Amino acid sequence: MSGFLESMRCSECVDWGEKRNTIASVAAGVLFFTGWWIIIDAAVKYPNMEEFNHSYHACGVIATIAFLMINAVSNGQVRGDSYSEGCLGQTGSRIWLFIGFMMAFGSLIASMWILFGGYVVKEKPVVYPGIAVFFQNAFIFFGGLVFKFGRTEDLWQ
Amino acid sequence: MAGIKALISLSFGGAIGLMFLMLGCALPQYNQYWPLFVLFFYILSPIPYCIARRLVDDTDATSNACKELAIFLTTGIVVSAFGLPIVFARAELIFWGACALVLTGNTVIFATILGFFLVFGSNDDFSWQQW
Repeated sequence: MSGFLESMRCSECVDWGEKRNTIASVAAGVLFFTGWWIIIDAAVKYPNMEEFNHSYHACGVIATIAFLMINAVSNGQVRGDSYSEGCLGQTGSRIWLFIGFMMAFGSLIASMWILFGGYVVKEKPVVYPGIAVFFQNAFIFFGGLVFKFGRTEDLWQ
Repeated sequence: MAGIKALISLSFGGAIGLMFLMLGCALPQYNQYWPLFVLFFYILSPIPYCIARRLVDDTDATSNACKELAIFLTTGIVVSAFGLPIVFARAELIFWGACALVLTGNTVIFATILGFFLVFGSNDDFSWQQW
């Protein structure tokens, strides 16, 4: 009876180390597309300009462009240990990533500004569109972070 | 023979899922056929992964960027299939009961598709690898 459980190790049934990139991709996809469906829901519920100004959609579009920019360069390219130089080299990829992160943070800050400046301070009767814009941008931002830093590039070799 | 058994059980699962979807549409107290649009998501969901598998020869690496992008897009399609009936229900186009039936059908169908890839994506005796 002793030593009964010694041969059972649950961490070896499923190798989480090899599954890490898959899990990170799934989590990033859930976050990103949940964000977009939240804003679709708000746009469906409040279609007129008084309750939900259509220009507020620009915030989520910028966040999506930032998501694509951040994830278009690999970490190896920024560190400079990739095989090829690419079209602009290490400096170009750093500047590209810098602009991408700036757009990501900018859209997150802008969504908070929309929530407070457009809905809370004006004391509008319906606050839900502002909250939807904020949650959309937060979900897209954290989805981008998970997709960028949750995956490891050691599995690609 | 194992392949035949798996195929039959998977097709049973697909039929159950489609039954839930049609129940959400066609029951007399619901009678709204808007949820049938999730059929597009069912068809689209395996496509990114199939493209990535054809595009990349995964002989040495355990994972690569193209496959992870495909998994990301597949997740997006699955999330969209769950989001669409919820938005329909919130827009009061369909009832919440119909929405729940469609979500149940979604779960069964996507589990079936995942099972299809797990069963036929790995073993070599069934030569459907050319997909």
